[in-house]
Amino acid sequence: MFKFVEKQKLLIQILLGGLALTFATWGIQSYTQFRSQNDTVATVNGLKITQREYDDALQRQQQRLRQMFGDRLDLDALDTPATRRALLESMIDNRLVAAAAAKARLAVSDDTLREAILGIAAFQENGRFSRSAYEAVLRSQGMTPQSFESSMRYELTLAQVSTAVTHSAIAPRSVAARLAKLLEDKREVSEALVPVQQFMAQAKVDAAQAKAYYDAHQDEFRIPERVRAQYVVLSGAALAAAQPVTEAELEQAYEANSSHYKSDEQRRASHILIQVAPDAKEATREAARKKAEQILAEVRKSPGSFAELAKKYSQDPGSAEKGGDLGYFDRGMMVKPFADAVFSLAKVGDISGVVKSDFGYHIIDLTGIQPGHTRTLNEVRKELTAELQKQKAARGYAEAAERFSNLVFEQADSLQAVAQRYKLKLQTTGWITRSADKAPPPLNNGKLISALFSDDVLGKKHNTPAIEVAPETMVAARALEHEAASLRKFDDVKSAIEQDLRRQEALKLAAKEGEAMLSKLRLGADAGLKWGAIRPVSRREAKGLSPDALRRIVTADVSKLPAYVGADKDDAGYAIYRIIKVIEPDKKTDAQMATDVANLERAEGGADYDAFVASLRKRADIEINEKIIERK
Amino acid sequence: MALDHEEREQLAALKGWWQEHGNLVVVAIVAVAIGAAGWRGWNWYQNKQSLEASALYEMLTRAVQASDAKTMRDASGALAESYPRTLYASLGALVAARYDFDHRELKDAKAQLEWVLERSRSDDLKDLARLRLAAVLLDEKAYDQALKQLDAPHGDAYAAQYAALRGDVLVAKSQTKEAQAAYQVALDKAGKDDNAFRQSVQIRLEALGG
Repeated sequence: MFKFVEKQKLLIQILLGGLALTFATWGIQSYTQFRSQNDTVATVNGLKITQREYDDALQRQQQRLRQMFGDRLDLDALDTPATRRALLESMIDNRLVAAAAAKARLAVSDDTLREAILGIAAFQENGRFSRSAYEAVLRSQGMTPQSFESSMRYELTLAQVSTAVTHSAIAPRSVAARLAKLLEDKREVSEALVPVQQFMAQAKVDAAQAKAYYDAHQDEFRIPERVRAQYVVLSGAALAAAQPVTEAELEQAYEANSSHYKSDEQRRASHILIQVAPDAKEATREAARKKAEQILAEVRKSPGSFAELAKKYSQDPGSAEKGGDLGYFDRGMMVKPFADAVFSLAKVGDISGVVKSDFGYHIIDLTGIQPGHTRTLNEVRKELTAELQKQKAARGYAEAAERFSNLVFEQADSLQAVAQRYKLKLQTTGWITRSADKAPPPLNNGKLISALFSDDVLGKKHNTPAIEVAPETMVAARALEHEAASLRKFDDVKSAIEQDLRRQEALKLAAKEGEAMLSKLRLGADAGLKWGAIRPVSRREAKGLSPDALRRIVTADVSKLPAYVGADKDDAGYAIYRIIKVIEPDKKTDAQMATDVANLERAEGGADYDAFVASLRKRADIEINEKIIERK
Repeated sequence: MALDHEEREQLAALKGWWQEHGNLVVVAIVAVAIGAAGWRGWNWYQNKQSLEASALYEMLTRAVQASDAKTMRDASGALAESYPRTLYASLGALVAARYDFDHRELKDAKAQLEWVLERSRSDDLKDLARLRLAAVLLDEKAYDQALKQLDAPHGDAYAAQYAALRGDVLVAKSQTKEAQAAYQVALDKAGKDDNAFRQSVQIRLEALGG
């Protein structure tokens, strides 16, 4: 061993020295970073975006989509090469900007980080940040405060750059005004249609053309793969409804919760408060009491105007605006002297004397009484029964769900066993395809549909796993009948194709005729058309015009009026538009102008940031692992 | 553990080597350590500067949101004065320029943008500052000066916006044909995305009868 050391002395010295130095200057953590995952989705300037980071981003994106569209979304169908690439590209953009920020040593301060975290609604309880909620949410996401804070810092620094670039764009007012005018200049137009029907008879299509179309557009004639399914539903609600509840159990539960069914007397009152601090001097106290006495005299003179007087005099900021109204409350909710006064008043409309509490002096008007009440067992029977059934079922559900899952898996060739065991109804569906959102409930669940169309179910004729499609609702299904994707026969679709082609042909003829009419109209001749109602249109208000028609109208040469333009009108024929008048937009208010400027600022700011990122991209060395993007 | 003869010899040789080269090794290690310490110190200093600049920048953006012109100016002045080499100073100047522009202080806006052109270390931010300077000049009706800024070399990524603004200036100068050509360049250079910028340029071009 020593021989080796001696021979390679220099090498080993360098190695050892290097090792010591790296520890001294880098710290140990950089070593852990070398342990990267094997799968690299992309490399940006030598830094990897790992499969795991990509998956995390994908998961966050899917969570957002779920929040927006709910469970029915078939996320698997959204995971295509195109969406994968878009997500990856945006991750690369963010990486580039973050790297540029890091190189320029941008870093948000601890204060900013703290503020941002305090402001996140998910971490709040009753409108305030809660440490325990914060930690609980992070735990549920598998993060520690350290890792979350560092990812927040990354996001905030990124946002610092993107907002700085985007929100500092300058929109020349002259350009904003010109654009706004272009968008709002109105032209009064009247429309006449050269209808396609007039040309249907002339349009000729032969069978060969139809066949050629069929051969060239087979995608249009495909019938997607479909199955008819059989399924069973295990639901908490159904389990609950089947739970027996005895009279004795009901009575016992009623006794145990009797306080639950008893409500204390509640009273509603308005008050006028003259504030005095508990430790105020005698003279101040006396002055306040005098003032309260005066107000009381005024109140007694006109009890009907208590609310106005409260608005005028009361120093209780919470209630003064509402005419002193405090709403309903029970005894325990108010300080004792106040509560005693309120509950000693005999009837609604009675007004107390001056009452002293820790807050100062009150004058109280009793405005409502709700007597206390105890609901009898018969009154609560229904809700209590449901509650007890739910409790029993909840204990049973978790267990049942697990056994249900196992049974569906173990006896994979039929749903009979599980249906019998849990007294569930075997149900069947009509034909359903892979689009989960079109499937009937409860099968309109992306995961379940994916399972239903899996090899295991279609090929091996197994049950799907039991899938929780809603809280406490599990579904298992199997395929009764399966049809692979197929092509409709030419003979079945021939006449539809012919009809379609004839219409296309007729549309061409209509357009030709329309264009001939246009030339006549432009020369001042009358083409014998029936003109529709006159309506003003602008770029901003298309009023149902197609983008093409609108573009032709707003860009038409209007040096001579009326002017004429024409455009295809979908399947209806060819439309001719007569432009009768040009209406300049009204003079704008400042607010409208501010909107115009803001619109241009948004466009420019977006373009500025895109260009900024594009510029970073040009200088960057980016490699994308196409295999991962293109995988099926 | 007893050493055999050969091993004892090797140990002696090792000791001899250390006596001969030991000092050199120690000196080398110390030198490297000092170098490393210096490097870390420099980093520490730079990070400290950046953090201070970051705080000023945040103060500036908050002042802009609160329309507090005085604080905005103080922060922007301090950034340019004490931290001119940080990216924050450049970002701050861009944000301040927009604030000035919005409040029709076109001179101040230009001064901020010119500062970025002269002092910023980021070519990207310089390209943006130049574009925006030309936009301010357009609103000042200083058309030829605006065109001169737009003629200056800039990164290819910004070509679409430079061309679009050139179109705007040429429209203001009533040079319709040239403006059409400029807008067309802008559309060609803009990405394929049908975004707000592209649509806006498209409308400007169509309005010229193109």
